[in-house]
Amino acid sequence: MASTNGETDQVLVEEKSSVRIFTLNRPKQLNALSHTMVSRLLELFLACAEDPSVKLIILKGKGRAFCAGGDVAAVVRDLTQGNWKSGVDYFRQEFTMNYVMATYSKPQVSILNGIVMGGGAGASVHGRFRIATENSVVFFYLMVYESCISRLFAMPETALGLFPDVGASYFLSRLPGFFGEYVGLTGARLDGAEMLACGLATHFVQAERLPLLEDALISADSSDSAVISSIIGEFSHIPNLKKNSAYHRLNIINKCFSRRSVEEIIAALEREAADNKDDWISSTIQSLKKASPMSLKISLRSIREGRLQALVNASSENSEWLAMSSVGKLAKILLRAILLDKDRNPKGCRAILLDKDKNPKWEPSKIESVSDEMVDRYFSKVNDDDWEDLKLPQRSNLP
Amino acid sequence: MEKVNFRTQVLTRHLQDNHRVAATATATAISSSPCLSYTPPEVSEQPSSFDVNSMRKLMDGHNLEDRDWLFNLMIQSRLFNPKLRGGKVFVVPDYNQSMEQQREITMKRIQYLLDHGVFEGWLTRKGFEAEMRKLALLEGGAVQFFGTKRHHDRWLGATENYLIKGCFSMTELGHGSNVRGIETITTYDSKTGEFVINTPCESAQKYWIGGAANHATHTVVFSQLNIDGKNEGVHAFITQIRDEDGNVCPNIRISDCGHKIGLNGVDNGRIWFDNVRIPRENLLNSVADVSPDGKYLSAIKDPDQRFGAFMAPLTSGRVTIAVSAIYSAKISLAIAIRYSLTRRAFSIAPNAPEVLLLDYPSHQRRLLPLLAKTYAMSFAGNYLKQLYVKRTPQLIKTIHVVSSGFKAILTWHNMRTLQECREACGGQGLKTENRIGQLKGEFDVQSTFEGDNNVLMQQVSKALLAEYVAAKRKNKPFKELGLEHMNKPCPIIPSQLTVSSARSAQFQNDIFCLRERDLLNRFAAEVSRYQAQGESKESAFIASYQLAEDLGRAFTDRAILQTFMEAENNNILSLLRSMYVLVTLDEDAAFLRYGYLTTENAATVRKEVAKLCSEIRPHALALVSSLGIPDAFLSPIAFDWVAANSWSTVQN
Repeated sequence: MASTNGETDQVLVEEKSSVRIFTLNRPKQLNALSHTMVSRLLELFLACAEDPSVKLIILKGKGRAFCAGGDVAAVVRDLTQGNWKSGVDYFRQEFTMNYVMATYSKPQVSILNGIVMGGGAGASVHGRFRIATENSVVFFYLMVYESCISRLFAMPETALGLFPDVGASYFLSRLPGFFGEYVGLTGARLDGAEMLACGLATHFVQAERLPLLEDALISADSSDSAVISSIIGEFSHIPNLKKNSAYHRLNIINKCFSRRSVEEIIAALEREAADNKDDWISSTIQSLKKASPMSLKISLRSIREGRLQALVNASSENSEWLAMSSVGKLAKILLRAILLDKDRNPKGCRAILLDKDKNPKWEPSKIESVSDEMVDRYFSKVNDDDWEDLKLPQRSNLP
Repeated sequence: MEKVNFRTQVLTRHLQDNHRVAATATATAISSSPCLSYTPPEVSEQPSSFDVNSMRKLMDGHNLEDRDWLFNLMIQSRLFNPKLRGGKVFVVPDYNQSMEQQREITMKRIQYLLDHGVFEGWLTRKGFEAEMRKLALLEGGAVQFFGTKRHHDRWLGATENYLIKGCFSMTELGHGSNVRGIETITTYDSKTGEFVINTPCESAQKYWIGGAANHATHTVVFSQLNIDGKNEGVHAFITQIRDEDGNVCPNIRISDCGHKIGLNGVDNGRIWFDNVRIPRENLLNSVADVSPDGKYLSAIKDPDQRFGAFMAPLTSGRVTIAVSAIYSAKISLAIAIRYSLTRRAFSIAPNAPEVLLLDYPSHQRRLLPLLAKTYAMSFAGNYLKQLYVKRTPQLIKTIHVVSSGFKAILTWHNMRTLQECREACGGQGLKTENRIGQLKGEFDVQSTFEGDNNVLMQQVSKALLAEYVAAKRKNKPFKELGLEHMNKPCPIIPSQLTVSSARSAQFQNDIFCLRERDLLNRFAAEVSRYQAQGESKESAFIASYQLAEDLGRAFTDRAILQTFMEAENNNILSLLRSMYVLVTLDEDAAFLRYGYLTTENAATVRKEVAKLCSEIRPHALALVSSLGIPDAFLSPIAFDWVAANSWSTVQN
């Protein structure tokens, strides 16, 4: 598909004095990260790290999306054709890229002016500055969001969501209270105001002011976080949360999504529903019941584990987002999932993913049939001859 | 000026050594020069040679999901005082809170956990995991133990839900470890069908009653029971001490124990009873009962046995104390060892980079043997919990002896570990935010409550002596308390210990058994020598305290080693087991004193300890990661202590 120069076309590069602007350029696919894009970004980031003339990196997307995450459809196509190793390679590269971003010595400004999903969130939240706009929509396919997403964007791959996404459980677990569990399990969409409120974004800027902001950053010619922060601050404001925002329901969310298990979370929501008529509660219950039981349980476990232990606490200036840590761990979960699926029924995958079946048949189909031991398998050490533990690059610029 | 130049040179060398991206070494790089900066041990250390998750599973043993969930609940709540330090969140005690504030926050935390369903089924549900949870609630445990169905139905559910807040009134001002001597007295009034409880004198006031000062509504009170002028010994009664609004009930007086060196979140109080009347049904009657017309009824005729039965819940207290002591040691070791893998001090050669603390053999010797012991005692703790949960009447003696020995040894080990870790962290150990100092305060009392450690160790030796005497008298083999090895011929220790035999499980088991066997023989001989001189058994025992002390340790160390060997399933654990045994041989003078080790053998052992340190060193990070303590429960020096102390954190 990609022409010889297509590789560079998928990521546009602009050099403006000491600033490098990388634009994800696959607008038709909502800038889903292809293998080519991931390799290219990795290469660019590594090169800029070595280049003393680069002081700041701006990452943005062309079209109505910032980035729709990993190109899962391609990966699953590989998987179903028995070429699972290539899928593994893809994820490995994506994780490496995220790790490099997370441990990066120079400031990264991500402009999230549009859709951000899964891997797209991974590519941005590890940067120091994350700018939301009125066009921002973020969601995590920690779980399947079949009906909603495919209707909205006709994106078959978003229907997969069989497993937690890149580093998602790490930053979801760092959201206030149990909001991360809520977002991760229900696949709820967050707008720019909500992203700012819960800390996924560091600033909110009106989209029309973005060009001016870029100019200001370029002329600032600085790597100093404080300088950059104050420049962005001049363009940003704090928007009001919309009236029916889930963020207003943080109390109920904390009460219910803090429960021990998926079953208990649903039971707690049902108790709430009995006490007060609230469409939000019933639709939340609905979305949980529609999701893949296995994926719900894996997601919950990985958020909770992500909260407890960061494997590598990459140091950087007071940014907890930079602790990419969980990458190694999550990579293992994900790759483990792929290996398990390889052993299991690859048809299940295809039905949901490529054939756009409206009624996915989950296996197991009931939440209570997913035992702790079954979930354990996704978190256990892989003993496979083909398996190579994810090797993260030694970051030469780690402080 | 020369000094400045020298310093600049050193800095430059460091930059070149550790900082391959020389290009960034401009003005900004000087402010964060690499010699003073932090590299995560996960980056600098070799990847682990074993699976950390499986090791954690083996170490924690049970209820892993429950634990992780609880950790999550705590980390995500403001009540647990999360603080952002160096890019990470830590839940830390608020050190500026007064005693009253600490108590208040404790109650709020309990309420928070209760609201989130944490205690559901802790006292009322059945099964192994539920049994483990039960260990956590002493007062509920007492009701469950001594009570019968009528008490369980009425009280357990309410306790679990904190509708009633219970406390456990045993200790008095004048009597602590000697429970049999307590002076609170209860009589029965058959006209009204009530018991009447009294505090007859000041030394009989209940003391250290956890929860009594501010919050408890009910208590299980231990008292002498006097029926028709005859003292039937210590019994337990449920008494209400506050009404629903928190007002102290009539005829009850309550006062505070005041500020303590630790555990100020617990409102320890003192209670006086002035003719407090309670219904006859409030006697916890699993052991003995009083009929409506005032007849004393008990299935256990022997008052000693009856008393023993009443002491059972203290066993549960000892189990939880022993286990929690080991978790405290785990926290401090994880902090100190992680710090020692990132902090450097002194260069060996003039221009060489400074050396990591844990690369000094002396620093390894300070921390790694304690880590090995903590592993050993962690398995011992798991064994003790299992033993307790599977308890049967036949096992009461074993449980009493094992829990006494383990509680003493594990809590002492914890305090020693805390002190060593505090010192190993240098000045940073002084900061309360780094936890270890605070743990010292909080855990110090563990050597005293639920049985003073020294008293417990004497009880271990006493029990062993009783076994010994019984076996000799009946001329029967030993079959309890792990003394079966005494039936076999005395183990032979090679006079020239080789390196391979020093590391063999056979030798290690042999020498621990030899010590126990020989000390038990010596102890029995010394006690009977005193008795032959006309001393009573009791005073003979008191006079033989030195041997009693050595024997108590010998028994406990041997029992711990056996739990280790049973749990051991890989090479790294074998390494730790060897370390546990050899460092014990190196430290306990008894082995040389009584000649179990020749001086040459002792020298071999000492060399081997140093060698084991260097062999364990590469696994240090993975071994502390396997302890399963979430990052948020460690402290800033366990992670990026440079970022945690940077100027930008001062400005924020």
